[in-house]
Amino acid sequence: MKIGVCAKITPDADARIKVAADGQSIVLDGVKFGISDYDEYAIEEAIRTKEKHGGEIVSFTVGDASADKQLRSGALALGVDRSVLVTENPGDPLGIAKLLAAAIQKEGGFDVVFTGKSTIDQQNFQIGTMVAELLGWAHVTQVTALEFEGNQFKATRNMDAGIRQVVAGTLPAVISCEDGLNTVRYAKLPDIMKAKKKPLDSVGAGAIGGDAGAARSSVGNLAPPPARPAGRMIEGDAATAAKELVRLLRDEAKVL
Amino acid sequence: MNYEKLFNPTDEHQALREMVADFTRAEVEPQAAEFDAKGVLNVDLFRKLGELGLLGITIPEEGGGAGMDAVAAVIAHHELSKSDPGFCLAYLAHSMLFVNNFYWASNDEQRGRYLEKTISGEWIGGMGMTEPGAGTDVIGMTTTAVKDGDSYVLNGTKTYITNGCEGYVFLVYAKTGDRITAFIVDRDCPGFSTSHHIDKLGMRGSTMSELIFEDCRIPASNLLGKEGGGLTHMMRNLEIERLTLAAMSVGIADRCVEIMVRHGQERHTFGQPINQYGQIQRYIADGYAMTEAAKCLVYNVARDVGPDVHNRIGSDAAKLFAAPVGKMVADYAMQVMGGSGYCREYPVERLWRDAKLLEIGGGTLEAHQKNLTKDLARLHRI
Repeated sequence: MKIGVCAKITPDADARIKVAADGQSIVLDGVKFGISDYDEYAIEEAIRTKEKHGGEIVSFTVGDASADKQLRSGALALGVDRSVLVTENPGDPLGIAKLLAAAIQKEGGFDVVFTGKSTIDQQNFQIGTMVAELLGWAHVTQVTALEFEGNQFKATRNMDAGIRQVVAGTLPAVISCEDGLNTVRYAKLPDIMKAKKKPLDSVGAGAIGGDAGAARSSVGNLAPPPARPAGRMIEGDAATAAKELVRLLRDEAKVL
Repeated sequence: MNYEKLFNPTDEHQALREMVADFTRAEVEPQAAEFDAKGVLNVDLFRKLGELGLLGITIPEEGGGAGMDAVAAVIAHHELSKSDPGFCLAYLAHSMLFVNNFYWASNDEQRGRYLEKTISGEWIGGMGMTEPGAGTDVIGMTTTAVKDGDSYVLNGTKTYITNGCEGYVFLVYAKTGDRITAFIVDRDCPGFSTSHHIDKLGMRGSTMSELIFEDCRIPASNLLGKEGGGLTHMMRNLEIERLTLAAMSVGIADRCVEIMVRHGQERHTFGQPINQYGQIQRYIADGYAMTEAAKCLVYNVARDVGPDVHNRIGSDAAKLFAAPVGKMVADYAMQVMGGSGYCREYPVERLWRDAKLLEIGGGTLEAHQKNLTKDLARLHRI
């Protein structure tokens, strides 16, 4: 199978995020970057698919030229064969999706492309769906189990209330990956060393025949959540304190 | 050179550090207290180090290893020791004392027999130098090896051998005549046995035993290098051994600083966090400064150690400085935590017990002082 995977470089999940003075971006100094968590599931699923069905894995990223470092350690060292890094900075998710779709089309011949269900920085949940639409392929979101047979796939996804939905379809397809689909492996040390020799193409939009187009939406401003007010200590013995707590929950917080 | 480049000279070093740190947090930390209490090696977890390619970290790619350098070995020991120095000691005894030493001392035929299964972790390895009557005074060893046809016959006892209980194969130093020679001894050699597990204060995630040779017959093809060449192998390997041991002290100290910084903010007395008190500030700030100094020294020396580059002064100095720092910063952390630091519920008391070994094993502080004084006098002869 020819397997594609879309991976975004984002701040680490445990990075401390501060809004920059312009109110529209975050402070990047001292922030550690890595492949977005859900995209790690996508990479893992791509590798497992190759292990089972054979073939080749190509990853696609739209991002800064410095992303090559994370792509080597987070994608190529794990088992991705080649990486394409489109060094553009589109203004909205549609622009990113257009460039990814163009790169996937330019490369051609894919049976399946994996994406994370969303990225942990923007959490727009849009890329997989837009890429599928632009390519005209089948698409399933938030997949937690997946099988291939011939040119058919069967994907399980979680719906609300814990109901599981099984979706069948014909390849090619874009599969967006949810937590629980797999467990991400560690890069093996010899593979970390081999990754530096694997092909990583840094290209502009022109080289893949892509065009992000004008952004149709833009970020107005970013604001951290309001600081939590300080807690209040209730004095007195257990019985008195419990009564007072119930009174406060009912009369002040109005949650009872 | 900026700070980060000293510790992660290349992207591959950084990727290695992140991989080992992730593995340590997810798989090593959760089991550390349990295996410390039991005093046994977690063999299943050890084999995972093999799957990750960490057991052949310094072995060139053509030998089936990762082809990395002393800095990489330091990184792996540094990160593992943040959670479980005892487990890391088993890793060190295997990958540094056995695999690294064996590789550079062996011929192709010997590599063919022992390398693949020790790099994968199927066979656990160790090294036998110390004897009941000969530690720092290594030349005073009494284990002998006598050539008999196409065999050597070994007699004697090695002691305090890490991985003795679980090990299949050992690199053993013995005297042929009055010179020291290195041999490979495995469990299938008749006359070879190991003692009971020698219980110990710390580093309890790894085991220790005697290696006993009673007319132990090994094939002559298990001679490493040539007769009388043992000291060369020993000396060549000592540098990376000491550096990785020093890196373990740095890992312990790093973790203890992290614990102090957090506890100093969380714990309140007399209405304020304890890091508002000068006495606590001294432990946190001094502990941090000492840890950073040890870290910089160890990584700086590691850049100049390899199969063909030697820095005995540097590696002795690194371990001489780092080992007491590990012990002292663990002690600071326990003092900052007070009663809770003394309890088994938290990792500090375990790290505190583990830290002491590094002032003794792989060269006592006194051995480093002796070597350094001698080497410095030779360097600046008047």
